[in-house]
Amino acid sequence: MPAITVRVNGLEVTKEVDARTLLSTFIREQLKLTGTHVGCDTSQCGACVVTLNGKTVKSCAVFAWEADGADIGTIEGLSKDLPEGELHPMQAAFREHHGLQCGFCTPGMVMTAVQMVKNNPDIDEDGIKHGLEGNICRCTGYQNIIEAVKTGAKAMRG
Amino acid sequence: MATYVARNGIGERQRRMEDFRFLTGHGTYIDDVNLENQAYAMVLRSPEAHADITSIDASEALALDGVLLVVTGEDWKAAGYGTIPTKSGVRNFKNGSDMKEPPHHAIAIDRVRYVGQPVALVVAESLDICRDALELIEVDYASLPAVTHQSEAIKDGAPQIWDIAPNNICLDFELGDEEAQKKAFAAADHIITLELVNNRVTAAPIEPRGAVADYDAATGKYTLWNASQNIHANRDIIADNVLKIGKENLHHIAPDVGGGFGGKNGVYQEPILILHAAGQLKRPVKWINDRAESFLSDTHGRDQVSSVQLALDADGTFRGLRTETVGNLGAFCGTVGPFTPTGGSSRTQGGPFKFDAIYYTAIAPFTNTCPLDPYRGAGRPEGSYQMDRIIDFAAAKLGMDPIELRRKNLIPAADLPMKSPMGLDIDCGNFPAVFEQTMQLSDREGYAKRKEATEAKGLKRGFGVCMYLECTGGGPKEEAKVVFRDDGKVELSVGTASTGMGHETVFAQLLAGHLGLPMEDIEFHQSDTDATSMGGGHGGSRGLEVGGSAVTQTSRQIIEVGRKIAAHRFDVDAAKVDFEEGRFHVPGTNHTMTIRDAIDAQNDPDNLPDDLEPGCMNITSVFERGIISIPNGGHACEVEVDPDTGTVKVDGYWVVDDFGTIVNPMLADGQVMGGIAQGIGQALMENIVYDESGQLVTGSLMDYALPRADDMPKMVIGYYEDAPTEKNILGVKGAGEAGCVGAPPAVVNAVCDALKEYGVHHIDMPLTPERVWRAIQDAKAES
Repeated sequence: MPAITVRVNGLEVTKEVDARTLLSTFIREQLKLTGTHVGCDTSQCGACVVTLNGKTVKSCAVFAWEADGADIGTIEGLSKDLPEGELHPMQAAFREHHGLQCGFCTPGMVMTAVQMVKNNPDIDEDGIKHGLEGNICRCTGYQNIIEAVKTGAKAMRG
Repeated sequence: MATYVARNGIGERQRRMEDFRFLTGHGTYIDDVNLENQAYAMVLRSPEAHADITSIDASEALALDGVLLVVTGEDWKAAGYGTIPTKSGVRNFKNGSDMKEPPHHAIAIDRVRYVGQPVALVVAESLDICRDALELIEVDYASLPAVTHQSEAIKDGAPQIWDIAPNNICLDFELGDEEAQKKAFAAADHIITLELVNNRVTAAPIEPRGAVADYDAATGKYTLWNASQNIHANRDIIADNVLKIGKENLHHIAPDVGGGFGGKNGVYQEPILILHAAGQLKRPVKWINDRAESFLSDTHGRDQVSSVQLALDADGTFRGLRTETVGNLGAFCGTVGPFTPTGGSSRTQGGPFKFDAIYYTAIAPFTNTCPLDPYRGAGRPEGSYQMDRIIDFAAAKLGMDPIELRRKNLIPAADLPMKSPMGLDIDCGNFPAVFEQTMQLSDREGYAKRKEATEAKGLKRGFGVCMYLECTGGGPKEEAKVVFRDDGKVELSVGTASTGMGHETVFAQLLAGHLGLPMEDIEFHQSDTDATSMGGGHGGSRGLEVGGSAVTQTSRQIIEVGRKIAAHRFDVDAAKVDFEEGRFHVPGTNHTMTIRDAIDAQNDPDNLPDDLEPGCMNITSVFERGIISIPNGGHACEVEVDPDTGTVKVDGYWVVDDFGTIVNPMLADGQVMGGIAQGIGQALMENIVYDESGQLVTGSLMDYALPRADDMPKMVIGYYEDAPTEKNILGVKGAGEAGCVGAPPAVVNAVCDALKEYGVHHIDMPLTPERVWRAIQDAKAES
């Protein structure tokens, strides 16, 4: 079994992985970071979105070995350097706008939203809707998610 | 019964308690539950819609290193397990004879009856080994003819799915006075008939179903962690009816559940299979469905084919309504499946409109498809679709204005309370006021301008409304238990089940609001049979109605005990003690005691009058709803249709709901918006399709379309709050399902309005670009 070394939320880890292990499985089962969720098997739902070298990817569509040497960001890392109880501005905006109900799609939504805003700080509503195409939410009807991303973007711009 | 007056934060927008853990990736969903030494299970599912199993050979799978167990129908027979019963509230044919309930085992025995039915369970040391082992099980099937459409299933000569059910009919049903309906029809000037389909859909929560089972050989007890919305009732069925282990020996827990919408209400086969496996192997067993399996095996919803007839006078006055429906049940009776097309769709027939007579009749046949069970609304969306579509269709046929037709026929406020022709107890509300509020909210004055702008783009614009009336349902009883711990925390346990609705917040909000305690002190518990002695779980928009009422009732009882403690301390009569904003006070004195003081005092007998025992403020109470509530409201929708491509864009959405008292408007808005999204999904894109041989065509998220962010319009939500119900102590009417009750007819009405110049007056859902385009072409060819 080959070993891979990755930097996850700033910490370097080396683990052996099976050739058929998906990055999502690696993150959930081997790193025990269960905030990354798996909601489908066709890369449609986006619950498994993480960042890979600063780009969002659906971690169910990447083999773990493909991430060897990469920098990975998961939902657990977003507010880990903040004082306990504090949230990243995008997380806080989701809470403020009731942009989540069951919470299952939420980690993927938030990871997608943060990167979307990093890529385009002045993103408008159409851009947000377009940027969320790869993330499915079955609870909220999206309106509050879109409002949350707008507010989160504003807060991230500072 | 006095209704609740909002105060102390109740009625305010309160941010959610559960959000922090969900937003930081620290929720505990079923796939996050892992036990020491657990084994993994996967299900071999039938690739055949209807076939005899002639042999199963699992020897190669069992020989694979790491495979622990293979379970088949033969094992099930040998174990003598019971069947999964249906709890349908309607159980008898019109003639009084018993419904046909076939044996529903957790695994196929001798014959399969739908694609996806469990044929074998494989348990192994890892999921990868399970996957390999599944491929090594050899099953021989002798195919039988299959039938998937309910209208075909009831014809003479159709493939017979169960010997006990001639023409595949499980049940038939009627409600209302047929003679009166016929009389009303005979006297009316017009009778308009519309055949329509309520398409088959699936709940599709983003978290797939899953479970972890454990068996403790020392105590003989089982524990089941299960992505379920209904742990008490399902425990009873699993433990008592199927495994026959006694319900006291099954501890049933639902962790955080990632959405349900009814799809996680019923009893499923897989959790039962892994309980069996855990008992056999004496170690924990985990099973998680993948999305492809979810499409095959999560119960489906809707799927009714109906004929609706509206009788009306020349001036537009409604006289009578007749609905005949055939509702697909799938291959077995779901946990409450047969109720949906019968009782479920019948009760709200006629909506908020005045009729002389209504008659409803249904046939519920079996087909070689996955069983159907409640999906958000469970019968009421079908009823509102039948009602609000026939109004627009009749208006189009008779050259009337559908808006005016509604305005003319709404039940006047002065007629309430009343019993509807379907026997529904409509106690309060003001449908004309809700209608006018909806019209006002939707900016009718600006419509002409918006239409002009749409047409300038070469598109068509349409406006549609739905005036829905629905009812709550689910278990009538709920328990709320409050325990004050000596570390200052307050445990609140309620037998309802939140799968995203926010009970953790709204119930804490109620308790904190009543008692005047900080919400942060409250620890919420749900969905654990050890934490709550009983519970009605989720379903029928009952959470706040029954669970919230239970919390309110328990809160009031706590205050009464606290009042006695305060009276004892101040040596006055309890009647002289007031309670306000967390303080007991004797007017005219400086005697004051906080609720926290009373809580701290409750464990010392010296602080208590003779009739109270230590711990007396730790109270559990059960609230029982006498009569179901009647949520109602108006939906208004504008669409843009591209006649060249058939593409529909929902371009505006307005809704006014009468949910009685609104406890947390932020959560109520969330329920409405999510429901509208599911309604728009059903109206425009969602469709479960089986081919004639019974293969599922829409087996992935690439074939079954769910609404995405850019499919949604801006939704504007208002409430009518002047009619709290007296049927429960909160005055609430239930908010969870209303969105998808009202949305499908509003959307379809709007599209038909946009296309009326072509002569298109009806298109069956989902209104995909192809269907819309074809409808336009067909209408053009006809004219």
